[in-house]
Amino acid sequence: MHPATPPMADERAAHDHRTLFSRRGLISRLVATAITIPLVLGAAACGGEDEPSDSAPNAPVELSVFWWGGEARAKLTEDALALYTSKHPNVTFKKTWQANQGYFDKLATLTASGDAPDIFQIDDNFLTEYASRNVTLDLTSYKDDKKLDVTKLPESLWQYGVVDGKLAGIAGGENTQGLVYNKTLLQKHNLPEPTTGMSWADFITWAENVSKVTKVPGTMDPSADYKAFWVWLRQQNKDLYKGKELGFTADDVTKWFELWKGARDRGATPTADVIHEGNATDITKQLVVTGKAATSFVWANQLPELKKATKDELGVVAYPGDPSAQWARAALYYSVFRGSEHKDVAVDVLNFLVNDPEAGKILGTDRGLPSNLDVRKSVSEAVTDPAMKLSIAVETELAAKFGPSPQVPLKGHSKIRAELIKAAEEVQYGRQTPSASAAAFLEICKSAIA
Amino acid sequence: MALTTAPSSTPRATGPVRTPADRRGSGRIWQREGLAGYVFLSPWLIGLLAITAVPMLLSLYLSFTNYDILTPWSEVEWVGLTNYERMFTSDASYWHAVQVTLAFALIAVPLKLAAALGVALLLNRAWRGVGLFRGLFYLPSLLGGSVALAIVWVSMFNRDGAFNSLLGFFGIEGKPWVNDPEWALETLMVLAIWQFGAPMVIFLAGLKQVPTELYEAASVDGAGKIRQFVSVTLPMLSPVIFFNLVLETINGFQGFTSAFVLSNGTGGPVDSTLMYTLNLYIKGFVDLEMGYASAMAWVFLLAIAVITVVLFSTGRFWVHYSDGEER
Repeated sequence: MHPATPPMADERAAHDHRTLFSRRGLISRLVATAITIPLVLGAAACGGEDEPSDSAPNAPVELSVFWWGGEARAKLTEDALALYTSKHPNVTFKKTWQANQGYFDKLATLTASGDAPDIFQIDDNFLTEYASRNVTLDLTSYKDDKKLDVTKLPESLWQYGVVDGKLAGIAGGENTQGLVYNKTLLQKHNLPEPTTGMSWADFITWAENVSKVTKVPGTMDPSADYKAFWVWLRQQNKDLYKGKELGFTADDVTKWFELWKGARDRGATPTADVIHEGNATDITKQLVVTGKAATSFVWANQLPELKKATKDELGVVAYPGDPSAQWARAALYYSVFRGSEHKDVAVDVLNFLVNDPEAGKILGTDRGLPSNLDVRKSVSEAVTDPAMKLSIAVETELAAKFGPSPQVPLKGHSKIRAELIKAAEEVQYGRQTPSASAAAFLEICKSAIA
Repeated sequence: MALTTAPSSTPRATGPVRTPADRRGSGRIWQREGLAGYVFLSPWLIGLLAITAVPMLLSLYLSFTNYDILTPWSEVEWVGLTNYERMFTSDASYWHAVQVTLAFALIAVPLKLAAALGVALLLNRAWRGVGLFRGLFYLPSLLGGSVALAIVWVSMFNRDGAFNSLLGFFGIEGKPWVNDPEWALETLMVLAIWQFGAPMVIFLAGLKQVPTELYEAASVDGAGKIRQFVSVTLPMLSPVIFFNLVLETINGFQGFTSAFVLSNGTGGPVDSTLMYTLNLYIKGFVDLEMGYASAMAWVFLLAIAVITVVLFSTGRFWVHYSDGEER
């Protein structure tokens, strides 16, 4: 059926093409209408941009705020915003939040309709997409005159929000890559725990041994996991992106896939379908908490969330290899819509959420470690949740070994992430060789960032 | 997707048919009645224009642009037929999705109709409690394309799910159905087939319409049960079969929810459940290529229209209308 369809469809397209130009009268009027309507809508959408904002200092202002997350985060965020209102009674908030699933669909749709929220949460998956299309307000001038104070933030953390020389967002929290392991399982079998700084080869040998002794696969297979791949690349002095180019070659991808093919062949990982379960779903289905592997490659600040899904004790270390390849990453950002009518107020709210000690106390470590180091210090001292405590301790310990952060991912990053999963799974399910799959993956990556 | 919401029937705005004499004599009344008609219709008309027609026209326009959803409309660039060209010549994932969708529709739709007809035949008898069974069989369709049902399906057809436990009871070793690229699409087909309640109810209604004297006559002529089914039931039921076939085919091509939920919106494992509409969604909202996605939507609309026309043209050969009127 497949070879037969294209010519038929082609003919159809060609036919449409002819009629388009023969019936000029009707068609051109239709086209004119179709073009005019969007132009009018587009003009309306851009309308707010050049108007002077915040003319009267105490005029009532309502800002819309949109974020993803669970109910706990919603409560904390609402409390923090309420605190802002109590300090600035003229400013109120229209708060909208939802689960991660579907968040970016909605944000994109709101943006398309010219009705983007004044303040929204975003991650490095989409920051460049939004920044390069001028959806986000450039915060550089606010940073320069300290209306948005970044002096207490680790430099590499706020710079991770710089896209093409513009500060597109401010880190709402910090996290880092972490290898989470099932402590209870290992202790039960008197097995050694993984350590920071062990080599990839040692790690795979360790995992193979765990599989043998415990009958639980020693590690998830992270070959589909972009962050593990990224750290591994940086350990070879490569990177995911260099400037506007890819920082790796098909050869690198092949080596990465082969590393894990070896691990699978030795029984260090579960079978392809189980690996897929971990690849395709959210944090609660990570193999380390579903009991299908002894370790998972995650973000260290996800530990408290992971802990909710299991009774077992969990531990965290750095990814295998040199930990200086890891970096402090913005767990997520707050950005301001460039078309917002109250840009200055919105930036002030960002400043408040990131730097205000009281707001920091309310928000805690829900979005990762607080970006502001002073706030982080006081929050860390106050934290009581043991999982959260561990996550902070690990991150603090690792931070000393961190390298500089890479550039923020290029646009097309989310596509590359999705394609890496497909390419890795082609190999895991044994449908393609590492090198064939790597070559195909590289082609897609090139077109994704073009 | 807006493209599928075109109205299925055209309302009559002007009341009963008028003779030319009527029209000559009562122009003013006609106008007044017409106006009233349009006023009563206006909610529907406004809905049609605002929610269906205008968005459809806009999406047609967008299909000739590089619109990425984030850029303002005013900066959108006209790219002519580039999107269409890319679809037909250089997008491997597009053709892969077409194949997946065709496989899904070609296998799931006939099996679903067969299941619906089979069960309808069973439930067309006057047993005690047959109403209860009719209800029970219809239940899965009520849940329809619900997300909850797809989630249940995923957990049932996992490696350690209920289905494999059942197989294990008979000593058969299961497979990781939903997580196996060889089987994930088949699992979705089973889900679709299982929801045969809606066509079943329509079949039941059709079966009730078959005059019993035809069966009596046939059995007098010595026709057995099978012969009666082939020579009486099927021809008498053919308009209903045709109706269900068209409806379910269109439905089948639009399968989205279950594939979306099963693969967490990715079409995985390794693109095995990348249905056309899911691919369209990914192109529009994940890859931010709304112009290209619009082009895909329009080709999809045309393809479904063509398939429907083909079905209608074959209908002449096998659909019989009992009143003897040939269509």
